[in-house]
Amino acid sequence: MSDVNGVLDDLRPIGETTQFIVIRLGDEQYGIDIKYIDNIVRMTHITRVPKVDDYLKGVINLRGEVIPVMSIRIKMGLEPDVETKSSRIIILKLEQQGTIGVIVDEVKEVVTLENERIEKVAYDSKNEKSNFLCGVGKSDGGLISLLDLNAVVLENV
Amino acid sequence: MDVSQYLEIFLDETNEHLQSLNTQILALEQDPENMDTINEIFRAAHSLKGMAGTMGYKRMQTLTHDMENVFSEVRNGNIKVNADMIDVLFQCLDALEEYNTTIRESSDEGTNDNSALIKRLNDIMNGGSAGGEAAPAAKAEASAAKAEEAPAAGGGFQSIKLNENQQSVLTEAIKGGKKVYGLTVKVQESCILKAARAFLVFKAIEETSEIIVSDPPSQDIEDEKFDLTFSLIIVSEAELGEILTAARGVSEIEDVSGNVLSLEDVSAGTVEEPSMAAETTEAVPAEAPVETPAAVENAPESAAAQPAAQSQAPAQANAPAAKKAPNKPVVNRTVRVDIEKLDTLMNLVSELIIAKNSLVSASAMSGNSSQAVNEQIEYLESVTTSLHESVMKVRMVPIESTVNKFPRMVRDLQKKLGKKMELYMSGEETELDRTVVDQIGDPLMHLLRNSADHGLESAEVRKQRGKPEVGSIFLDAYQDGNNVVIEVRDDGNGIDTNAVKNKGIERGVITPEQGEAMSEKEIIGLLFNAGFSTAKVVSDVSGRGVGLDVVKSMIESLSGEVEVKSKLGEGSTWTIRLPLTLAIIQALMVEIGEEKYAIALGSIQTIEDIPPEDVKLVQAKEVIQLRDLVIPLIRLNEILDVPSKKNPEDNLVVVVVKKGDKMAGLVVDELIGQQEIVIKSLGKYISKCKIISGATVLGDGEVALILDANALI
Repeated sequence: MSDVNGVLDDLRPIGETTQFIVIRLGDEQYGIDIKYIDNIVRMTHITRVPKVDDYLKGVINLRGEVIPVMSIRIKMGLEPDVETKSSRIIILKLEQQGTIGVIVDEVKEVVTLENERIEKVAYDSKNEKSNFLCGVGKSDGGLISLLDLNAVVLENV
Repeated sequence: MDVSQYLEIFLDETNEHLQSLNTQILALEQDPENMDTINEIFRAAHSLKGMAGTMGYKRMQTLTHDMENVFSEVRNGNIKVNADMIDVLFQCLDALEEYNTTIRESSDEGTNDNSALIKRLNDIMNGGSAGGEAAPAAKAEASAAKAEEAPAAGGGFQSIKLNENQQSVLTEAIKGGKKVYGLTVKVQESCILKAARAFLVFKAIEETSEIIVSDPPSQDIEDEKFDLTFSLIIVSEAELGEILTAARGVSEIEDVSGNVLSLEDVSAGTVEEPSMAAETTEAVPAEAPVETPAAVENAPESAAAQPAAQSQAPAQANAPAAKKAPNKPVVNRTVRVDIEKLDTLMNLVSELIIAKNSLVSASAMSGNSSQAVNEQIEYLESVTTSLHESVMKVRMVPIESTVNKFPRMVRDLQKKLGKKMELYMSGEETELDRTVVDQIGDPLMHLLRNSADHGLESAEVRKQRGKPEVGSIFLDAYQDGNNVVIEVRDDGNGIDTNAVKNKGIERGVITPEQGEAMSEKEIIGLLFNAGFSTAKVVSDVSGRGVGLDVVKSMIESLSGEVEVKSKLGEGSTWTIRLPLTLAIIQALMVEIGEEKYAIALGSIQTIEDIPPEDVKLVQAKEVIQLRDLVIPLIRLNEILDVPSKKNPEDNLVVVVVKKGDKMAGLVVDELIGQQEIVIKSLGKYISKCKIISGATVLGDGEVALILDANALI
């Protein structure tokens, strides 16, 4: 597969491509399908909502709309978020759950991946993180784990 | 305004109306007396006329106008429908069809005036009004005015019809050396408030002149029932130029033209309005037919009384004209608006209120707010409040649309249940937010069925108990402060609390011990539990155990509450209380720890300052005693998991809230103040938190949560 890609890199065949926004959570890079992204905003004051799961950080005011914000880190079982200058809230628009903000450590870049360079990941019961991935994409900058947003956002039962 | 973008819509709608006219006129032929059909035809013709007028197709408008006149006479019973008339009407439809085709091809209506058709229409009208002599005086006069108008209608311009009184006034004025002018005012197409502009024109003209008659009548002008032009006949001593300048001085008036009217014009009965081109021409339009009715001769006698009345305000002065045209269509000017557009408007108003709140808090923060700024903020505040109220009003509809199906339903129930009953409704005009009205139907239906099925006894039992055989169910709606109350009341058996209790025990909803300890109120509350029905026989009317719990949850989802009062043997009353508005409420802002919360003002009874030693323990729960009432305390900081920043020795700030007749004292750290807040949903993603009913955006852009006092109790 890899040598095929080497050839295809410059050719850019007219096939289906998907654009991803590359974000950083801790040391790892993740991709979020751009079609779900409504907006990216700086960290703002998050109003805590009592009596909800701890990955739900609260709600923010996005131009007059009240939007729930969740922590992917807590949801994926990572260390809690540390707010830095590069922290951002990505506003996602999902069909089922509506508009939700997710906190990320950094927004890096936008990449366009041909669909044939996206590989499905096998479900790995030992690795909890793999539950939240829908694939791995290969770009020039290395491997990007592609987040399965529905799994990320899905309520814990 | 460029109307070309509406051409498609115009053509489509014209086709629709023509189709409906065709069908309806066919139906009319079969059943000439059917008022519904006539009304339907009238409406279609009227819409066609309006649309053609808006698009500037004058010929089409004239033809439809005359058709409408005929229908109007038919509707008023002045003309009978006959085969000849139907033929003419079909020919008119064909002519309109032709206009439509021409417009579709060239976006121009062509030059065919169809004057022959118009003449025939007017002949029909004349024939009709001649037969209408037996009609009351006012009607006869109107018909006479119509008849006089008729011959002039072919010219393509609308003419002002004069009745005898007006003629005599004008004749007198001319004889007295005053001048009579005919004016036509054209409003700019882009003008939004046509009626307001017309009013200003009236006012400007009245400074120097007296308005004798207007076309359309002043009432219609006030109601904006005119296209871009209206005509006036005035009496004045001033020069025409002066009057024209005054009228043109009004903004958004495209043009005002006028000419001097001579004695013959006036006595001709109809005054051809001046065309735009023929501005300030002294000449009488040639087409104006000279027809001298007897009216002018016997005018002087009535003239003496007239001028006094004419010197009133224009509305009054023209009132006779308005009254004497009973065949003018009275159609409510309404606009159908997509509810989504209203929601958008509502959201924008909400945004405005948030922005206003920001301004208030910013000005308070800066500390150096000047008098002027404060005044402007107060002004802004009153404007946003009125704007909010108007938008709310736009969304309000009478509950009539929902409740008017109930009489029929009760009639059917009567048959089905074999009981005698009567439904009495009042307050159908009570208005509620559109979304609420749409959803209140089902709960009300459940309650009515419940009353009919469980509440009312059979006729025999009622007789034995000395009640009238026919049971009564009442549905009363009224506004009570910021709430709308809907009561469903019956004079039936009332709720048998023992039966309910036994049923509850039997169903395992409560234990026998619990049952003993329960108050009547609590037992009645059991009825709202899911799967609870006391009907011994399950009927298809009620008694399936769904219903009351659904009623309750539906009403609660509308932020309302439902209560029952019942007396065994005398009947029960179900009271539904709904908030007028769902979107913007007055709330008390409180602080708990570092967080701000809002509590709806509607549920707050009092605010108390309680020294810590007054807090007593009852069954290991904190309570306070307030004017003979024992009220349980709820420490919000514990429920909300926020560390309180208050010293335990300090006095407690207790917000006493009420739900039905239950009370609770909410302990908060600090009160911030009363504020108008816009309720935003937290979204379904955060739906687990029952004690929070929503959120609002504060002036500083922060989000504050709204506590649901009902859920806390």
